[in-house]
Amino acid sequence: MLLIRPLADRDLDALYAMAEQAGKGLTSLPADRGLLQKKIDLAGNSFNQRCAPEAALYLFALEDTTTGQAVGISGIQARVGRDEVFYNYRLSVTVNASRELGVHVRTPTLQLSNDMTDVSEICSLLLADTHKGGGNGLLLSRCRFLFLDDFRKQFSEKIFAEMRGVSDAEGNNPLWDALGSKFFDMAFSEADRLSGMGNKSFIAELMPKYPIYLSMLPSTARSVIGCVHANTAPALNMLQAEGFNFNGLVDIFDGGPVVETFIDNIRTVREAVERTVTITDTPVATDVPVTDRVIVANRSMRHFRATTLPLTCVDADTIALPQDVAAALQVQAGDTVRLAPLKDSGPLPIHSLKAPQ
Amino acid sequence: MWLVRPVTAEDIEPVLAFAETHTRALPSTLPREREALAGRIKDSCAVFAGEHSAKHPARFLFVLEQVNSYEIKGVAGIDARAGNGQPFYNYRRDELIHASHELGISRRVEALYPSHSLTDCTLLCSLVIAEELRGTQAFELLSRARLLFIAGHREWFAARTVVELQGIQHSDGTVPFWDSLGRHFFNMDFATADRHSAQLSKTFIAELMPPNPIYVTLLSEAAQQALGEAHPATVGNLELLQREGFSAGHYVDIFDGGPVFEARTDSLHSIAASRRKILRGSVDADGPLWLLAAGEGQRFCCTLTPVGEMLDAALKVPIDTWRRLGGNTGDSVRGLPL
Repeated sequence: MLLIRPLADRDLDALYAMAEQAGKGLTSLPADRGLLQKKIDLAGNSFNQRCAPEAALYLFALEDTTTGQAVGISGIQARVGRDEVFYNYRLSVTVNASRELGVHVRTPTLQLSNDMTDVSEICSLLLADTHKGGGNGLLLSRCRFLFLDDFRKQFSEKIFAEMRGVSDAEGNNPLWDALGSKFFDMAFSEADRLSGMGNKSFIAELMPKYPIYLSMLPSTARSVIGCVHANTAPALNMLQAEGFNFNGLVDIFDGGPVVETFIDNIRTVREAVERTVTITDTPVATDVPVTDRVIVANRSMRHFRATTLPLTCVDADTIALPQDVAAALQVQAGDTVRLAPLKDSGPLPIHSLKAPQ
Repeated sequence: MWLVRPVTAEDIEPVLAFAETHTRALPSTLPREREALAGRIKDSCAVFAGEHSAKHPARFLFVLEQVNSYEIKGVAGIDARAGNGQPFYNYRRDELIHASHELGISRRVEALYPSHSLTDCTLLCSLVIAEELRGTQAFELLSRARLLFIAGHREWFAARTVVELQGIQHSDGTVPFWDSLGRHFFNMDFATADRHSAQLSKTFIAELMPPNPIYVTLLSEAAQQALGEAHPATVGNLELLQREGFSAGHYVDIFDGGPVFEARTDSLHSIAASRRKILRGSVDADGPLWLLAAGEGQRFCCTLTPVGEMLDAALKVPIDTWRRLGGNTGDSVRGLPL
């Protein structure tokens, strides 16, 4: 069984291995033990509510229960831009117009902004190569929305995600080469690494503060602004299906887009339903296609757990959990759990199984 | 023999012809269109006649005339107040320090700030001279006659004087600074923008430029090299300005990136070193060449002449010079040795 639970101390080795495997481009999880340990500590404090709600970083591990190993991670940063300044460029337009001259020129312009300050960010999604596919990525990503919805007070109404921008095999990014590197003498990969080490705002202090007129940049740089890395395209598609949209902000280093939405508009949240737990002795089928499965989450913050089950377990107002699943989710008969479709594939049977009013 | 005098309404044809032939290679603020030039001459005549009011921009225009042939071989101007009542735009070159204490990095970043600071300074402008006269005494006369005029009418002019020198322009007419900056916001080449600028005022164009600072490092290599560089054809002018005490400051032209030279008006050599003298004619006058200016307002004229036998407060000049400068014994003139 694959189970979502809060990231724990014992996950450090697995986390380090995953971060190393992911290599360049994953800014928020650099392969650095000290830093990863700090993140684990912060996550522990967050789930146990031992830190200020605004400072919380909720990191979820996807555990393969047969081995006890973490094979994936995802996260929610309760608020960004608190300890350090959170920068983006806003992609806006400058118009130079004169009727006398017959001039009406639109110049795309990057304006430095801190607009995402105090907004909740979903971040740090990483899945071991061995467990890619089979809806595992969907579970890792979407379980966060059930969590967000159940603990809304801890988060802003707006939720955003930064998408990784375009880079080549060597990790070079055309926007960085044309813009960032002119102000900061280092390769993109190095800047990205420093940024992941928590030095992003220091680097941002060295970046241009005045608007950048894109017509002054080479077309190679212009063409990647707001575009995602090929590896990130599936993640973008998934978030778009959830209701996230490009909000006009891009990363100051690689030009990758920021997508945002509001909690109420998130598809998983809108489609989530509650069911009462019953315990069954019937083992569940394991080879059910992604479209026929649902995410099931207990409603605990401190002991948050989530996994997937076949639709067939769901009834009009109950869900039948095998004993081992109930134990893994730390629920008993009579408890309430939340359900949401694992993959968006049109209206699901669980919605037609309305509980009688 | 050469003479510099205020332009008059009758000069329109020769000045127009002169402007058409001599402002092709180097762009100039001297209008090439009849209507604009006529307006400029009219304004000039009015201010030389002493009509100073907020309505009339105080724009003086002088011509360099060959004495015997009456041929016009040069034009030069003074705007008493740069911008003539409108903002006078330049880019100010400035350096920002982008520093991070945590990373131990400090880096200088050069930026161009749109600026109006030079508005209302006195502006020497519209200097155009026949190509064969570049670097000659006639050129010296044309340029410096303006300073003697300022010295003689000091209250009309500002405490600081500035001069814009043309920036780098390639022989095919392209201007690297414009192509890397202004062009993006106008979608037109330098020549077209320059034409509009002449017709509609430079301020009009400048106000369409983005109001934010421009990072120099984002300009093309060629534009960065052209920044603050004067066109090679202006070398004579540049040297003259430096001898007079002008120096290039932090300002450059918005269009071509050419340098702006600045000085305190009172410390300019021709103004500080010139003296009032009594003028006398003499048949046998001979000696070193002087710049001599006589007359006030529209009767102003300035010439180069040998000056002989200096007495206390008097100068002896050849009879024909004496006639040209007014022809009254005992007239007061202003001058200094060339």
